[in-house]
Amino acid sequence: MEYVSPEGLRIDGRRPMEMRKLHAEMGVVAKADGSAVFVMGNTKVIAAVYGPREVQNRSQQMSDQALVRCEYSMANFSTGDRMRKGKGDRRSTEISLVVRQTMEACILTHLMPRSQIDIYVQVLQADGGTRCACINAATLALADAAIPMRDLVTSCSAGYLNSTPLLDLNYVEDSAGGPDVTVGILPKMDKVTLLQMDSKLPIDTFDNVMQLAIEGCKAVATYIREVLLENTKQLEYHRGV
Amino acid sequence: MGLSNVVGDLSLEMEVDAFRRLFPLRFYERHLSESIRPDGRTLKSARDTSVALGAVASADGSALTKIGSTTMLAAAKMEVMTPSADAPDEGSIDCCFVAVEYYMPSICSPLVRPGRPAEIAPVISKQLYDTILSSGMIDLKELSLISGKAAWMVYLDIYCLDADGALFDAALLSAVAAFSHLRFPVVSLNDEGRLVMVPEEGNGDKSGKEVVNKEKRKLSLSSPPFSLTCALHKNYILADPTSEEEAVMETFVTVVLNSSGHLVSLYKPGGPVLTQTSVIQDCIALTRQRMKEVQEILDESISGMEID
Repeated sequence: MEYVSPEGLRIDGRRPMEMRKLHAEMGVVAKADGSAVFVMGNTKVIAAVYGPREVQNRSQQMSDQALVRCEYSMANFSTGDRMRKGKGDRRSTEISLVVRQTMEACILTHLMPRSQIDIYVQVLQADGGTRCACINAATLALADAAIPMRDLVTSCSAGYLNSTPLLDLNYVEDSAGGPDVTVGILPKMDKVTLLQMDSKLPIDTFDNVMQLAIEGCKAVATYIREVLLENTKQLEYHRGV
Repeated sequence: MGLSNVVGDLSLEMEVDAFRRLFPLRFYERHLSESIRPDGRTLKSARDTSVALGAVASADGSALTKIGSTTMLAAAKMEVMTPSADAPDEGSIDCCFVAVEYYMPSICSPLVRPGRPAEIAPVISKQLYDTILSSGMIDLKELSLISGKAAWMVYLDIYCLDADGALFDAALLSAVAAFSHLRFPVVSLNDEGRLVMVPEEGNGDKSGKEVVNKEKRKLSLSSPPFSLTCALHKNYILADPTSEEEAVMETFVTVVLNSSGHLVSLYKPGGPVLTQTSVIQDCIALTRQRMKEVQEILDESISGMEID
């Protein structure tokens, strides 16, 4: 199947280096300490952060830092065919672990000892790149909850089909069997915190694809900063500053 | 009493927020005696309600409903099944063929955690299922495709995204809205005599198959049900309680009416308040009023969608 046409257009009409349309909103779940919705094309994810709060399981409490927990689940209607089990299966458990460890790298946990920070991510619509959208949503939700962080964490994926590096794969491109590189970075500090790749790639091609994904992450970071700035302006306005 | 004096003294010095957290019952009773609630509503008014249809693009029908901060996302998906032998002309609404599931994921409330699911979730799930079936809103015969061989199965999943009181009301409204928005997928017979979904984007010509249900595309809902939950506390009736109010009030009643004015269901799960029928009659009257408001809101969003 042809994923990149001879004119250089992908299945959904994008160019190889073009990301999908981004949209984000903060403060969507009133009950949560912080929350955000992040949309990348047709992938829609909602994240809620509760914390810092008392540790649920006393035996896990750490006296010098906060405990970070994450749960990733998919709604039954999020994929094309209705799913039976949206959490507790292997894939959801793996993504929960990945998101937790990625966010843990940037939260200043030593400032909140003996407490727990819960990050819950729910996928409402899945069209490829759910892992990336979850990390981006979690970053915004943590910012909305005013949890101190070293830097934002932004994430984007890239692949290699028909001998072309492609940015931000959707579900069809992801299931094509080609390589899928997911990268998560701390944009200001210019450090890579998450890097996952499957399938096969020659090393120099991998370099190109990874650089492309990092560019995508930086573009997401620019967008996230805009959203945060706008949100802060709204907060100031509501306070009458 | 010594205790109330202490509380009285403290309340003069304490900030409002602290008083609200430490003595919620007194905080609310102070408001109720003035016939007002902390968010400024009167005892009988419900919160701002909004319905957005088509919130989930991949589902056959979906709706996002908000009552105040309470947010519910309902999505319906349809699959083809074989009907039971004793009802060959109907899709089924016994426990096999219309499945209504209600979930409260951990994002919706600080009280819900992984490993500690919300106690109220399966209760509301059962309530919703019973109400939707017994209201007769869906005509089973509409779900039939080929008599005796194929019928539709409807899966309705409702996710609570934010739990701030009146969960059943918001969930029922989102279910009704999702059913109103539902469009049957197009199916055709493939070579093995099985019914398969035909994708929407004009591939019908390529496959050359005859589409089985081109004409019938929407569910016709007869008298959809609407509900209102009222919290009862001493002699006060509070319509549409928030989660804070629900935690403080003694008991609550949920009344479900359908648009022809018939009582579909009544639910009062115990509680210390001994209600006389007059209280129930008041709740039913409040529900009737609320139903008019909600029906308008729903009709507006349906007609808004049809214009598109």
